Amino acid sequence: MAARGHVQDPNDRRLRPIYDYLDNGNNKMAIQQADKLLKKHKELHCAKVLKAIGLQRTGKQDEAFTLAQEVTVLEPTDDNSLQALTILYREMHRPELVTKLYEAAVRKVPTSEEYHSHLFMAYARVGEYKKMQQAGMALFKIVPKNPYYFWSVMSLVMQAISAQDEKLSQTMFLPLAERMVEKMVKEEKIEAEAEVQLYFMILERLGKFVEALEVVQGPLGEKLTSELQSRENKSMKLYRRLERWPECNALSCKLLLKNPDDWQFYLLYFDSLFQVIDQNWTPPLEGAPSAEGEVHASVAQSISFINERLATEEAKESKHLRGPYLARLELIRRLRERSCPEAMQLGEPLEHMFQFFVKFGDKPCCITDLKIFLDLLTPDQHVQFINRLMEVVPLGMAGEEGEAFPADTRALQRHLCVTQLSRSLGLQHALNTGGKLSLIKELKAHYHHGLQFGTSCLKTELQFSDMYCLMAAHVYLDLWKETGNQSMLWQCMGLLEEGLTHSSSNAQFKLLLLLLYCRLGAFEPVVDLYASLDAKHTSEYIIQAYKYGAFEKIPEFIAFRNRLEHSLHFAQVRTERMLLDLFLEADISSSLEESIKSMSLCPEEDDIPWENLRDNRDLTVFVNWSPADRQLKEEHKQCSVEEETLWLRLRSLTLRLIGCVSSLTHSSTPHNSEKTTENGVTTKPLVFPSLLSQLENTLNQAVQFTETPPRAEYPFLGPVASRLVQAVSSGCCQCQLSMFQLPVHLQELQSLGLDGSAELQTQISNLFKSIAAQLHDILEKCKGDLLEVGDDQSRTQHWFLENLVYFVETVCIVLWVSQYCASVLRPLKSTLQKKKKKKKEASSVTPAVLLGFQEFSSSTQNLLKDALEHIRSQEITLSALKLEALKLELVEASFTKTAMEKVQSSYLRSLQEIGELLKKRADSFKSLKI
Amino acid sequence: MGYIMGKAEGSVAREEWHGHVTALSVAPEFRRLGLAAKLMEMLEEISERKGGFFVDLFVRVSNQVAVNMYKQLGYSVYRTVIEYYSASNGEPDEDAYDMRKALSRDTEKKSIIPLPHPVRPEDIE
Repeated sequence: MAARGHVQDPNDRRLRPIYDYLDNGNNKMAIQQADKLLKKHKELHCAKVLKAIGLQRTGKQDEAFTLAQEVTVLEPTDDNSLQALTILYREMHRPELVTKLYEAAVRKVPTSEEYHSHLFMAYARVGEYKKMQQAGMALFKIVPKNPYYFWSVMSLVMQAISAQDEKLSQTMFLPLAERMVEKMVKEEKIEAEAEVQLYFMILERLGKFVEALEVVQGPLGEKLTSELQSRENKSMKLYRRLERWPECNALSCKLLLKNPDDWQFYLLYFDSLFQVIDQNWTPPLEGAPSAEGEVHASVAQSISFINERLATEEAKESKHLRGPYLARLELIRRLRERSCPEAMQLGEPLEHMFQFFVKFGDKPCCITDLKIFLDLLTPDQHVQFINRLMEVVPLGMAGEEGEAFPADTRALQRHLCVTQLSRSLGLQHALNTGGKLSLIKELKAHYHHGLQFGTSCLKTELQFSDMYCLMAAHVYLDLWKETGNQSMLWQCMGLLEEGLTHSSSNAQFKLLLLLLYCRLGAFEPVVDLYASLDAKHTSEYIIQAYKYGAFEKIPEFIAFRNRLEHSLHFAQVRTERMLLDLFLEADISSSLEESIKSMSLCPEEDDIPWENLRDNRDLTVFVNWSPADRQLKEEHKQCSVEEETLWLRLRSLTLRLIGCVSSLTHSSTPHNSEKTTENGVTTKPLVFPSLLSQLENTLNQAVQFTETPPRAEYPFLGPVASRLVQAVSSGCCQCQLSMFQLPVHLQELQSLGLDGSAELQTQISNLFKSIAAQLHDILEKCKGDLLEVGDDQSRTQHWFLENLVYFVETVCIVLWVSQYCASVLRPLKSTLQKKKKKKKEASSVTPAVLLGFQEFSSSTQNLLKDALEHIRSQEITLSALKLEALKLELVEASFTKTAMEKVQSSYLRSLQEIGELLKKRADSFKSLKI
Repeated sequence: MGYIMGKAEGSVAREEWHGHVTALSVAPEFRRLGLAAKLMEMLEEISERKGGFFVDLFVRVSNQVAVNMYKQLGYSVYRTVIEYYSASNGEPDEDAYDMRKALSRDTEKKSIIPLPHPVRPEDIE
């Protein structure tokens, strides 16, 4: 990781062992070795930095930072120290400190190309565009290499992109960037493709499309070689922007003649054709019809163009291309949309689709090709269409059960294609329960039969017949939804589990299983399933893009990064993660205050970008053959985002309020601040009430959201409902809100004192009573069997588990707020006792608030005992369940059982974990005294 | 549907300037259409334009489907790289074939003469 130069510096030799220890992850030895070296060579700053890296990696951030700063203030200029500090600051997530480091280095060594270039990259990491621009120019002045000049130009473009004020971009940054490039063009100094690319980007952003076109088509455009057809693609884009439809049409014609399989140019061809027609365009009297040659300006021309493409394709001996055939269907669609009678000249879509199937039915993509044209069929043609296709599917002799199977993978693919089309047309959905059950049987038979073709498949490959399995699973889900019979769900899960044993890389099986286990609240199997999906991780390539001059990618990378930073899902996961850490660990392994500090949670600060939150979910990730009327609709998406955002608001406010409670407790503890108890001053007087009222408002909105009738139910394979509905109905949100109201009253009590606050005390006591009752109600909603086993089926009642989780979360909050209450009441009580002693009053009444608290504390303890008892009995019931006793159909019985056992085991583990946590919380309650 | 990722790299002076296929992938439902061959053809064309001597790629020795496809496209095994692939836990997993196809600039097809011995990952550039 260090600069391993060729000239051996004695220091390099001395430092080598430390580098090796760090590289091997032996941080302790690295620290020791560094200490040893520093005793002998006090001036060897790099050793200090390496020691700091060791410290950082062993969790001693503060020490590491201090050491690093000691070296940084010396403004080092040796490669070893600079590089080590760069690594350290990056690991500390403090990239801005690297810029300071190299600013100092270039000040001391102003002619160093290397340090200047490090400085530029350091600025690039933190997005300091203005400074990048200057650093690039400074570098160019030292070493007049083109890339440095264009780094500077690109930094101007980035200033334009990131500027809040669009006017500033258009009148200052971009024109300046343009002039900088023009200067190089005039001096004929343009060298690389990247430079032309950048010029193009600038002109495009300035809206100078004509000028951009000149660049692309002129001598500079010759440098555009990294992408095939780059000049043509760029010209096309510009013709569209300029609405030069004749050129657009002529160019797409030319490109289609070259490659009749490029779908995007068919779409452009049709778009431009109808534009040209609608504009009544006529060719000029003299010269070429357009800058790109011949233009099609009538429907007749387009029909003959497509027919020619088809004829050429038909005449070919070799593999046929799909493009021309699909283009004919597309043209029919467009002509019909415009009510053009000429559509008839192109023939009957059903016939064309049938012929397409004959030609391409054995390709897996045939279904996606035809699916988009299904709406060209009239509903009364649907059955006829499927029957016609089925007639040309080569199946073998029917067996005893009347089923015939394909003899090879091509026949299988054809059969599968018809089956998928049939589902997409809604023909499967129209079947009754009996029909669906026999369909499943048929699909499973095809699935199992097809496995023989894939016996030599690698484990990374899919089985040829996997789609039958997936479709059977979908039909099971249809049945589950329609009948409510959970055995359909179990069999669906069993089938998918079976599918995975034959095809362990099938992401669709895994995704659907993930969805189903999650729906049942069984998270134990989810971890492995998710890991096995092997999701790709992205890293940042911005620095690389500057180095290689891939300028056009830089705005893309930045946009992608913004997309991640504004992700709704990311904000949710981060919030949930912090909540979970607190619920599980705070007050157990470390104090609540320490836990909150270690996650750098600051209740005053709302770091969620509410205004710019983005829904990055891909809701089309599931293979889905639902007919048009059952597909995901825009309103579903909107509703889901609204729901998710509301839920995030609730959770994030809860988190921040917990943070407030912690700091209140901390500041009201006498040894932290003697004065607080005397004058009732607390540190965060304003944040708490504000967050509290926000929580109240959000909860009202949430209740409204859950009650607004009739909320359209999301399609099964669409977005998953958030936990909002269940959380609200469990009563936990309301109870937590009530609990958070206590501190406000107690602060008031703190300032009033026990005397003369009778009314307030009654109010507080009533609140205690109400919370106790609410807690009781939540627990009642947890009581029920998670898994019921009857004669021939088992049924989950997973909502009991979800409610139990809400109960435990609420108990945690109740505990933390109670601790704050105790910290306020304790000194009040002791003052009272002192007074009593002085006055020697033998019989005085205990103040209402103290009584209220004691009652609350003891009732909560009893409730927790009850809860623990319930959990224990559930554990016993669950462990005693004998799934083997279920009479299941023989064939898949074992897989269905596997799924059930996974759910059973997951529930058990959840109960154990919840029980353990609750036990600890109950213990804390016991020790809570005033 | 599918994608190809690649780069141009290597020293021109040592006649090692070449196109490298970093990744090639076609979604299951778009297989058997010749897309992989098409994508490779594009990368070769760009490598030609950039004046490369050859195109190379690494493939798991177990991935017979891919190895055969590359052979059909004119690639041959230049060398075996021992334990080129590692599992997510960092343990060595599998050897790779380094396969090459000469471009027109390498008139004598020197770049694809197979090496007699396998090499280790740290020995490749």
